[in-house]
Amino acid sequence: MPCALLGDRASGKTTFLGLLYSAQVKYGTGVQDDFRFHAPIGSLNLMSAVYEGMKDGRFPSATLKEEITELGFIFGYLRKVVGKLPYYIRQQNWARPFSTLRFSAYDVSGEDIEEFIETGIASRPLIQQLLKSVVVVVLVDCSKMTTDIDTPAYKKMLRYDSTVAKLLVAFQTYKRQEYDRLKDSGVKAEAPRIYPAFVLSKFDTLKDDVLARLGLHRGFPENKRARKDYAEALLRVFVPQTLSQIRGGKIAGVSMDKAAYFLSWVRTEQHEGMEPVGQSKIVRTGFAPEGGGEPDFSYDEYVEFIEHFRDIAHKIPDEVLEAEKFQAQALARAA
Amino acid sequence: MSGKATFLSLLYATQVKSGSDASDDFRFHADVDSLDEISEAFEQLMSGSFPDSATKEGMRGITFHLGYRRAGRGVLSRFRSRRWASGGSIALHFILVRDVEKEMSRFRLGSSFTNANLREVLESDAIAILVDSTKLGHRPEDGTVGPMDRYDTAVESLLSAAQRSRPRGGRRSIHPIVVFSKFDSVDPKALRAANLAGAPPDAKKTGPRSAYAEALLESSLPRTIERVRARDRDASSFAKPSYFFSSVRTEAASADRRAKIRLRRTNGGGWEPDYSADEYRALLERLWTIASNAGE
Repeated sequence: MPCALLGDRASGKTTFLGLLYSAQVKYGTGVQDDFRFHAPIGSLNLMSAVYEGMKDGRFPSATLKEEITELGFIFGYLRKVVGKLPYYIRQQNWARPFSTLRFSAYDVSGEDIEEFIETGIASRPLIQQLLKSVVVVVLVDCSKMTTDIDTPAYKKMLRYDSTVAKLLVAFQTYKRQEYDRLKDSGVKAEAPRIYPAFVLSKFDTLKDDVLARLGLHRGFPENKRARKDYAEALLRVFVPQTLSQIRGGKIAGVSMDKAAYFLSWVRTEQHEGMEPVGQSKIVRTGFAPEGGGEPDFSYDEYVEFIEHFRDIAHKIPDEVLEAEKFQAQALARAA
Repeated sequence: MSGKATFLSLLYATQVKSGSDASDDFRFHADVDSLDEISEAFEQLMSGSFPDSATKEGMRGITFHLGYRRAGRGVLSRFRSRRWASGGSIALHFILVRDVEKEMSRFRLGSSFTNANLREVLESDAIAILVDSTKLGHRPEDGTVGPMDRYDTAVESLLSAAQRSRPRGGRRSIHPIVVFSKFDSVDPKALRAANLAGAPPDAKKTGPRSAYAEALLESSLPRTIERVRARDRDASSFAKPSYFFSSVRTEAASADRRAKIRLRRTNGGGWEPDYSADEYRALLERLWTIASNAGE
């Protein structure tokens, strides 16, 4: 099932993917073996290059990012029933052992949405992918969160908010129309549902004065409800249109209520009283028997991210199959 | 220049604020075309600027779908689109009449070029009349044309035309909504001349508020107010009008800079235009009530 990962330019998408790769390497090679990760060769080359660079303490370079046009990866979750089968059967393709989610990452730009709104034609890959998706992951760059209204970062965040809100509304409208079309064809379909997730990227760069003004502490809570409150307190200030349109999905007949929130950070070297010259260096964990020399990042959050989509992945294939079946029925009737 | 774009942008800003609030008792959805038009204006407001001419030009019609999570709100209405939990939702379609004087002049002449939008306005359930408060109370002593006379004539004829377009004895009322825009810049002399206080009575005190508003309109929009008041006399199709006062605090323009909207801190730590938010919330509630009852 396709899923869209949206982020502004320089919002930390490549770093996010590199860290996700790092997390999946660790998590996906655990003894439990109920999660797998796959990426097309182009994306894998990039992600592993990013990962290797991070192990050397470097953030991905601009050249590296430009080398690739499409970034994607697949999550595979072992289906519960299959997990109980003997190992040999589990390994057979006909058993369809894994529920999968196929992510593609895109730069969000105003032009994509403008063209779609004006022409109604989804010619750009971002729009095509988005319209097919049931999962949308939105990266929100915390380094652009400022309460100083005269800065370019403030205006960039305003623009990003408008663009993402428009994308989501276009997405809701499309899903609703598809649903209505199926219903009009006499097909009984489930009301459309979209699963949004927000990743607060570069969380370590979030300024203290911003947190203080919002009445938030630096640590991200563990409790699910508290995480939601914390993240929404930030999103309400910096991407209010997006948040209001996610909530408004219900009014549009497309539920987007099951939003989840994650954060991403990588610890960087700090020199007291000094501003770093050039790109800051990533702090790495020390060597130990269980591994080391890894970038010091929010690993637990990435595991949460991976796990969050497990239930969705198990659920979605059925819905998709149903939808495909309905579409086939509708076509047959039309013929 | 009556502030239509600013008015709609502030209405949108009120919805964004209420719709992203933690209390979650209000939600709204904007049509994608509408969002495309209004989000640009929202960005400008949030940066301390009034909508620029390109943004205003691009604004044609705006549709919002509103939902309140309140018991007893789920009424049968032809405006209701989708259910949200225990409540319902309604659709508000704002049609912008760019130049009401020109449009009505064409309409009176029976021009076939009459704006299609205007025909839609005549069929609508509510007509929001924006009154530029900076023009209130300026009546020339020599009896020549006042700054609002032409507007008054145009609005009055619009209301008459809307009334005529309704079938006699029909149940659908026209709800006049008068919005005093730029009320923070009203000439104090206009208020004194009408023997009024500096601020209007609270939105909940409908009687005193109507009296306050009508006292202002009597001198500047006499034909309009007369048309609306005639509802009691000749059983016209007008419902009781409602009145709202819009204001946005600004930083004065200088030689090299246009007037800027003053931004204020919100409870959540962000920014919002320093405007009459309570008035806009009350207006949204009113629109909700009108739309909910429209199809009963």
